[in-house]
Amino acid sequence: MIDYRRRMRANLAIAVIGLVLFAVFPLVANSGLVFLAGLVAVNIVFGLSWNLLFSGVGLLSFGHAMFFAGGAYAMAVVSLRLPDLPFAGGLLLGAMTGGIIALVFGYIALRRASGVYFAVLTLAFSELVHIVITKTTFLGRNDGLVGIPRPVINLGVASIDLTSALAYYYFIIVAMAVVAFALWSFQNSPAGRLIQAIRQDPVRTAFLGTDVRSWQLTAFVLSGTIAAFCGAVMVPFAQIASPEIAYWTVSTEPILFTLLGGAGHFWGPAVGAILFGAIDYATRALYGLSEITVGMLLLGVVLLMPGGLLGFLLSRRTAARRLTGSGKRVPMANAEKAT
Amino acid sequence: MTRMMEARGIHKSYGPVRVLEDVDFDLEAGEAHVVIGPNGAGKTTLFRCLSGESRIDGGTITLAGEDITGLAGWQRVKRGIGRSFQVARIFPDMSAFENLIVAIETRERVDKGLKSTFGLVAPRAAVRGEAEDLVVELGLEGRLDEPASTLSHGDKKRLELAMSLALKPKLLMLDEPTAGMSQSDRAEAVRLIAQVREKYGLTLLLTEHDMEVVFGLATRLTVLHHGAIIASGEPHKVRADARVREVYLGQH
Repeated sequence: MIDYRRRMRANLAIAVIGLVLFAVFPLVANSGLVFLAGLVAVNIVFGLSWNLLFSGVGLLSFGHAMFFAGGAYAMAVVSLRLPDLPFAGGLLLGAMTGGIIALVFGYIALRRASGVYFAVLTLAFSELVHIVITKTTFLGRNDGLVGIPRPVINLGVASIDLTSALAYYYFIIVAMAVVAFALWSFQNSPAGRLIQAIRQDPVRTAFLGTDVRSWQLTAFVLSGTIAAFCGAVMVPFAQIASPEIAYWTVSTEPILFTLLGGAGHFWGPAVGAILFGAIDYATRALYGLSEITVGMLLLGVVLLMPGGLLGFLLSRRTAARRLTGSGKRVPMANAEKAT
Repeated sequence: MTRMMEARGIHKSYGPVRVLEDVDFDLEAGEAHVVIGPNGAGKTTLFRCLSGESRIDGGTITLAGEDITGLAGWQRVKRGIGRSFQVARIFPDMSAFENLIVAIETRERVDKGLKSTFGLVAPRAAVRGEAEDLVVELGLEGRLDEPASTLSHGDKKRLELAMSLALKPKLLMLDEPTAGMSQSDRAEAVRLIAQVREKYGLTLLLTEHDMEVVFGLATRLTVLHHGAIIASGEPHKVRADARVREVYLGQH
């Protein structure tokens, strides 16, 4: 029988260990690396939000940049135009922007298309958002919005100063750890089980009495909201919202993270985002070569480790256990779920 | 008897092919109604139209007096129809136990709304208890933690039946419940279906090829031929019907 409590504790532990590792990172790394680590932390949750759709409900989104950019630009506009609004208000508005974009586009796209047509529609919508941003003066056109301040959170009795990059970095990793664990909990709740069921057999799910399309839309909105939250959190860190974050290449990033880390595992995109960040850093001096490196690596992973890095490592572990006869024999599917 | 389902003037075409032509079909509460007919007679199409998997081109369908013609499959399930498929549809990557959990939680969502959806990670004790009861009832013990895709053909059918029962339907529709089974598995399946029908007071609607299964279960028999009903009534009378013998039973 599945031990749900053990599974919950194990995944809470993963979130906490990840948080601790990111927290001690500034002690051993310079500020440039810490900045990259902050972006990686944001990318982890960005990747997880995408995989909620792909491995969760079974939808392929090629336009996640529109949510990320939506949240980022909402945050940037709020910070510059409404400086009196509390920081949490900006985050909330940013996340809601993604949710609303997802609701409108998802409603249209899910009525009209499925499978690869759905993916192409999300790409088209995302390009539309990109073009709107680059043509809107209010959003800074091709220059983007710059000079976005980092906040001081006023709690009444005390205030938390996040104006330094390091302080804001700590805010990011705590926020991302909380969202990541919340997302894990959601995907393992009754609603998460239902979403899994829809991916595995939508017809069966419908004939259990579920309105499949409205649940697909719910997952789409949730995914868009979280991706937008990531964008909103990122903006004060980088202090700029530029149109590049709405470009289609940003939409490919969570896909890369997921394929690198392993789509069949909740934490796969997290592993992939860290790996991607490390490769990006290692190849930064090879100007123009980093895309080739990433492309080659992805090709290698897809051909040699179709389950991603995490899938590969876990299957090795299971195989080793079988050979030595030590430990509990875990069927592969259960071992995957346990992580 | 009260009427469970009533279909009037059902038309269904796939492109130029008319599969069902002006079919009237009644289902009384409590009966075990089996639809038979040669391959291509339109049994599965009728089944799909009644369950809501396919839209009909003409006609009306009512369930316990309510017009359900325009309702999608999932809405009909909410009104008390459970169904299985010719090739069992289960969630392949989940364990058999989780398949049942999903079915029970879905029914709870229908009954109690969203508040049963955003629970904690573990299924509630009542849900697990109910799943365990179904496991025992349908003899699925011992293979609960395996991914459902690794179950045997018969066990997949059994699991699907358990999932349908978890919905507590008034009407259970089984599309060829013994297709692809061995002779001994067939007898076991008939016994199981008869048992759950008795226990839950179900109305049954089945399509079936195997005559032993048909006469083992049916309280009423309907024969479909070229998309039209040629006979309907008590099994032994239908069996004696000259036209039925000619087009269908005569082949055996």
